[in-house]
Amino acid sequence: MSSSSASLTTGQPKPDLLYVDTWRTSRHRTHLDALKGLDAGGMLGTPSRAHLSPTLMPSFRGIRLGAAMLAALIWLSSVPDKAFGQKNSPDIPVVSNVVAIENARIVQAPGRVIESGTVVFRDGVITAVGRRVDVPYDAHVIAGDSLTVYAGFIDALSHVGIPAPRNQGQPESVPDRSNPPFDRAGITPEASARPALNPEHDDLEKLRLAGFTTVMVAPRGRMLPGQATMALSSGTNGSDMILQGMQPMFFQFRGAQGVYPGTPMAIMSKFRQLFREADRRMKLEAMYAEDPNGLTRPPFDAVHEAFFPVISRERHVLVWTDEVLEIHRAMSLQEDLGFSMILAGLSGGFDTVDKVSSSGLPIALTLDLPDKPRFAAKIKQDSLQHILDSYNEETRTATYRDVEAEKDNLEARQLWSRNRYVGTAALYEEAGVPFAFTTMGVEPGDVHENLREMIAAGLSSDAALAALTTNAAALLNASGRMGSVETGKMANLVVTEGDVFDQDSSVKMIFVAGQLHEPSREGSGNRSGRESDETIPNR
Amino acid sequence: MNKTIRFFLIALLAVGFLTPDAIAQDVLIRNATVLTVTNGTLEDTDVLITDGIIAEIGTDLRAPRGISEFDASGKFVMPGIIDAHAHIALSSVNESTSPVTAEVSMEDVTNPYSLGIYRASAGGVTVSHIMHGSANIIGGQNETIKHRWGATNPDDIRLEGAPRTIKFALGENPTRVHGRRASGGSGAIVPATRMGVEQVLHSAFENGKRYMEAWNAYNAEAATNPRAIPPVWNERLEVMADILRGEILVHCHSYRADEIVMLTRVLGDYGVDRITFQHANEAFKVAPELAEFGAHASVFADWWSYKFEVYYSTSYNAAILMRNGVLTSINSDSAELNRHLYHEAAKSQRYGDLTDDEALSMITINPAIQLGIQDRVGSIEIGKDGDIAVFDSHPLSIYTIPVLTFVDGVKIFDRENDMDDMRVDINPTAEVGEYEGQITGHDHMHSNEEVADAMSFFESVAKIDFDGHDQHNH
Repeated sequence: MSSSSASLTTGQPKPDLLYVDTWRTSRHRTHLDALKGLDAGGMLGTPSRAHLSPTLMPSFRGIRLGAAMLAALIWLSSVPDKAFGQKNSPDIPVVSNVVAIENARIVQAPGRVIESGTVVFRDGVITAVGRRVDVPYDAHVIAGDSLTVYAGFIDALSHVGIPAPRNQGQPESVPDRSNPPFDRAGITPEASARPALNPEHDDLEKLRLAGFTTVMVAPRGRMLPGQATMALSSGTNGSDMILQGMQPMFFQFRGAQGVYPGTPMAIMSKFRQLFREADRRMKLEAMYAEDPNGLTRPPFDAVHEAFFPVISRERHVLVWTDEVLEIHRAMSLQEDLGFSMILAGLSGGFDTVDKVSSSGLPIALTLDLPDKPRFAAKIKQDSLQHILDSYNEETRTATYRDVEAEKDNLEARQLWSRNRYVGTAALYEEAGVPFAFTTMGVEPGDVHENLREMIAAGLSSDAALAALTTNAAALLNASGRMGSVETGKMANLVVTEGDVFDQDSSVKMIFVAGQLHEPSREGSGNRSGRESDETIPNR
Repeated sequence: MNKTIRFFLIALLAVGFLTPDAIAQDVLIRNATVLTVTNGTLEDTDVLITDGIIAEIGTDLRAPRGISEFDASGKFVMPGIIDAHAHIALSSVNESTSPVTAEVSMEDVTNPYSLGIYRASAGGVTVSHIMHGSANIIGGQNETIKHRWGATNPDDIRLEGAPRTIKFALGENPTRVHGRRASGGSGAIVPATRMGVEQVLHSAFENGKRYMEAWNAYNAEAATNPRAIPPVWNERLEVMADILRGEILVHCHSYRADEIVMLTRVLGDYGVDRITFQHANEAFKVAPELAEFGAHASVFADWWSYKFEVYYSTSYNAAILMRNGVLTSINSDSAELNRHLYHEAAKSQRYGDLTDDEALSMITINPAIQLGIQDRVGSIEIGKDGDIAVFDSHPLSIYTIPVLTFVDGVKIFDRENDMDDMRVDINPTAEVGEYEGQITGHDHMHSNEEVADAMSFFESVAKIDFDGHDQHNH
């Protein structure tokens, strides 16, 4: 298994279509029914692309099948997506939906490692984890030698799964730009990310390949685009991705185009206005419901109503902070109004460690890092360190005398500045502030490289893993279901060869609620002819 | 230890001196010519600052143990300069979508990283009144900041306890922004004329008054009736009501004499009596009227002709106002001009034959009074903040050079140690050598996106000139 995957992920030719894997140690002999069963049980590929997946089952030790088998496979390929995507499809009976990964290194949670053990999951839920675990008779067994199993990563905030709208040109005109309709002002907190979810969104696949199985997906828009939702990183359709749970109100300092509120200061005022008026209306509604005698019916609109659960602290406000001043702004609003807040982003948060730490607010740090300055892009790390070491804070150069010396010094300071961004997560770890991560605005393919940079800057691997798993689960109030490899948790797993934070490691398999995704075939899923390793994050 | 971590630690130590908390707020300045502004000039005098406050002024003061001493023999010490009109240290300046935006506040967009703070301190300025722009008739609330360079938390640069102030604007800017806006899909709205400006002021005050009355009525009824209905919450009218209650000082962008008098009448109608007219190039024409109303003025020494309403101007403006009993200051409204406000004061002195103390008061105690912070700053007196500017010669001399600036007794600027790169926030991705513009009085936009949004509205307007004067912008 491992050898086959390794060759797949290093860009070797795809396995011959005529080879079909038996999962090497599978207790089932491979035959058509078993294959169907496997797939219907959710083992094969992205369900929506399942018509391609079975033919690409990795196999180097598989048995060669005859022409009849090939014909069957072609038949399989032609079956519409949904037949494979739906569990317990009436058309294709499930033979088994139990999987066991044997003899793998299992990182149950940060610092809790089983060097060689077995994970068993059934119907998308982990049923056993341990050194000696009975593998059920009906399990598909994956030999985990040389593999490491982690809990699937959780992204605390992203727009992934919601395709960006096409460029709409000039915004709609309004008669009075000082008082535009709510939707024109970017204020639709009653909306939800849910109807917009689309499992075909390209970035979703990339994020999955980076090891993410769960995402807090926020709707796109401006100041208050709507409620975010927890979602799996795959599904047969948008609804199938949705996970029950926290649906925070998403808020960002992004002004409306040409109408009020346009600037961050007006966004601050508008938020206070909406909150305080909603607070008034909520009290009126309660009075009216109890006894309308002598009262007029309270004014109603969906926008203010959406604030009711925020005011009663039944709903969090999830705030995206793109720069350090936005951290202060969000905290100032929270202090004024006293709602439950989750802070996400915190770029530049190296300057707010103490303030954030003493606030006790739940946070999700950005996985984004500033690009290296252009001059540094092609310089090796050792040489960059040399430039950094050369920085002289005391310089006073007469520019006209020595432009180059001044330029060199300014460039060294830029590297220093970038390092502060890289070192932010380490600072929060050192301060004892638990944090999750968000991929908002990050190219999913950069996630692992950025993580490695953060770890090189002092972040511990355990803290990085906690941010991606246990802390994120706690932040999203989902620790009962996910975040660790434990009995009773969802079978959201990342299986790697090598330590997930090592440069040389690679993601081999991702299980999303028990459904298998593999880098090799994800890449070819809907882009035939593309090299499979293009979408593998650890390269 | 990891090399990168080691670098972090070294770097943090290196910039440690920038953190105000980390350094002593005690200093003894010896043998200076002290220009107290309020108590004349003291020769060969020492000034002792402890815990950021001026503790003693005298000769041969005893130095507390371990205090840092500075020998100012031959040098001049004056109170830190106060700029009553600035747009530095802000993330955004104009919420230009509505003629009345009293609810927005510069408090929410204060930016302690702005290099403009350090640059201003290099000109002896220790306090700035950072204001909303002049796009709206009633713009946002302003913020009074101290130049505590090196602070990264916006709260750390606020002048604690400074009264609230708000920006008003009359004349060409608001009428152009709102009344003559043609593109972007939104048509022109009131005001297009100076008459319309007055009408907008009246209705804003009237709405604020009714709002205040509605809440007063509710509060009275709620005392006995638990089912009393509170009025609809309105952040904007909350601020208008606070102006009516006298809790917010008005600072109004204005040029023409007629509109200046108009505003005093509108304010008179609503019992608002604390007003400073900013710019006020024609204020000299109505100086007696302003004195009678008790209005203040904050003007330029000799800056005008940048648009039609600013042609009728004179360099005697400040002196005429002073001589007529109008409390007057000289401001910058510019991230460049604020570095030589002492020159501006000297120009007004030269034109109008003012005394040294009169000239210096226009950049120290007078703006302090206009901002309601005269008990804290604006003169060298025992008990006031240790905000000090040291010059190598008399600050009203054309040859003077600022050499040291202290804020709360902390040395912020030192000409001897003015390094090439004094930034606190360094963009890690920008091209070195690329000019990084900062927000000034003339560049009142928050971000490229915001600029694009605004440009889509103003594209048919030949010139966007929010605060009126463009010569420093190019």
